[in-house]
Amino acid sequence: MTEITITGLNAITHPYLEVWDWRIVIYLFLGGLSAGMLVMCSIANLRIPKQPVDELAQCVRAPIIAFITLAIGAQFIILDLGKPQSLIWGYLTFQPLSLMSWGTWGVPAVLFANALYILAVIPKDQRYRLKVPFLVNLSEKLSSKMRPIAKLNFALGIFLGIYTGVLLSSFSSIPLWNNATLPILFLVSALSSGAAMIVIIAKKAEIKFLFTKIDIWLIVAELLIIALFFYGLYTSTAPYKKAIEPFFSFTNEQFIFAVALIAIFLLLPLAMRLKLGELKEFKGGFHGEFTKSQIFRMNFAALLVLAGTFILRAAIVYAGQLTKLSPY
Amino acid sequence: MPKYVMVIDVEKCIGCMACVIACKKENNVPDQHYRTRVVEEVRGQFPHLRMELRSELCNHCENAPCIDACPTRASHRAKDGTVQIDRKKCIGCKACILACPYDARYSHPKGFADKCTFCDHRIKEGIKPACVETCLGKSRIFGDLEDPKSEVSELLRKYDASVRLEFAGTRPRVFYIKKKFAGGL
Repeated sequence: MTEITITGLNAITHPYLEVWDWRIVIYLFLGGLSAGMLVMCSIANLRIPKQPVDELAQCVRAPIIAFITLAIGAQFIILDLGKPQSLIWGYLTFQPLSLMSWGTWGVPAVLFANALYILAVIPKDQRYRLKVPFLVNLSEKLSSKMRPIAKLNFALGIFLGIYTGVLLSSFSSIPLWNNATLPILFLVSALSSGAAMIVIIAKKAEIKFLFTKIDIWLIVAELLIIALFFYGLYTSTAPYKKAIEPFFSFTNEQFIFAVALIAIFLLLPLAMRLKLGELKEFKGGFHGEFTKSQIFRMNFAALLVLAGTFILRAAIVYAGQLTKLSPY
Repeated sequence: MPKYVMVIDVEKCIGCMACVIACKKENNVPDQHYRTRVVEEVRGQFPHLRMELRSELCNHCENAPCIDACPTRASHRAKDGTVQIDRKKCIGCKACILACPYDARYSHPKGFADKCTFCDHRIKEGIKPACVETCLGKSRIFGDLEDPKSEVSELLRKYDASVRLEFAGTRPRVFYIKKKFAGGL
C-alpha cells in the first residue's frame, strides 16, 4: 500500500491536469473542419482537368465557410491565452520544435491562402459583391491561377488537419496524446468532417453525392485508426495503458469517456450506413436532382459525422489530461 | 560556466514545510499557487511502514520539454544553465505546463506561466536559494557541479543519486540521494 500526501499543490496540475479546456476543443474542431473543407473543395476543383473556372464554381462557398470557421476557431485559442496582449512575441520568432509556434505562423498562413482561394473561385457574375475595386481586380487575376491556388490550399489543408493532432501528440508527458497515431486520426477525422460539411452546404446534387462517397471511405479509415489508437496504447507501458482506462470502464468515475467512445462508434457507423443506402439507391448512376427526403438523409448523415468528430476531439483533449507520466 | 544543481537528501527532510513557505515569501508566489512542494509517501502495511519525505520543484532539465514547447522563447535556458521564464514574452498558452512531466509549472493569475527559478536573483548575488537557506534538516543542498570541491559534487560522488522519471529522458538537475528508502520518485 502506498499513501501519498502532498503539501504545496497547484490546482491546475493536481489531482488532474486542468490546463486546456473547451476552448481548445472548439479550436481543434473548427481548425480540423476548416482543414477538411479546404482539402475537399480543392479535390472538387482539381478533379476535372483543365476546365474554365466558371464551370468549376460549384465549390465557391466552401472556401468562404472554411475561412470563417478557421477565423472563429483561432479566436477560441486566443481566448484561452493567459496573456493575449503578448501574442506579438510569437511573430518575432519561429521555434521549429514548438507546435504552438507552427500554429502561430501556420493559421494566419492558411487564412491568407484561403482568402486567395476565395477570390480565385468567385464566378464572374458574383464579383460585384466584393465591392472594393482592388479585390475585384485581384479576383480577376487570381481566377486564372485557380488550380495552383487549389493545390496550395490542398497542401495547407493537410498541414492544418495533421497539425491539430501533432500539437497534442508532441506532449511526451501526456500518455494518451503522445503517440504517432493521433495526428493521423485527427487528419482523417478532419477530412471526414470537411467532406460532411461540404455535403451539407453544397447546392449541386452531384457534389453532395461525390462527397457522400468520399466520406464513406474516410469513416472506415477513421474507425480503423481509432481502434489502432487504443490498441497501441493498450499494448504499451503502464502509464499509457492507464491513460485509456476511462474509455473502457463504467465503474470509473470518468465513465463519460466510455459513453463518448460508444457514441462515436454509434454515430459514425450509422452515418456510414445511411451513406451506403444512398449509394445503393443510385447504383445505376446518378442523374438529375435529389428529392427533399434524400437531401435530408444526406445532411443528417453528415451531421452525425460532425457530431462524432467533435466528441472524438473533446474526449481526447479531456481524457488526456487525466493521466500523467508521474504516479501522482 | 557554472552548472547549478540541487541535491535533496530525502532522509534529512523533517517535513516542516519551511521551504514551501520560504519560497512563497521570497518569490511573492500568489495565493493557492506553489513553486515547490513536499511529498509524504508512506509505504507498506501497518505496523511495517516506511515513510519518505521528498521535496519537489522544477528540475531545470538539461533536455527541457518546456523550452521545446514554448512558441516565443519565453521559456529559455539562462546563461547559468537554469531554465527561466521571460514573463514579458510569455503569451500564457500553457503548452509548457502540459509539457512538463514533473508538474512543476502553474499559470500565474496575471496570465504567464511560472515556476521555480532556483532563486536566480539570489544566486546572482552569491546567496543560496530561499528554500535551501531555510531548510532545517539541511535536506536541500545547492551548488555548482562544475566545482569539484562543492558540496553537491562531493555528495553526488559519494552517494548513488537518482532523478525523477529518469525514463522521460529530460536529464534533471535536481538529484535525490537516499540510503535506506527505495520508493517512489
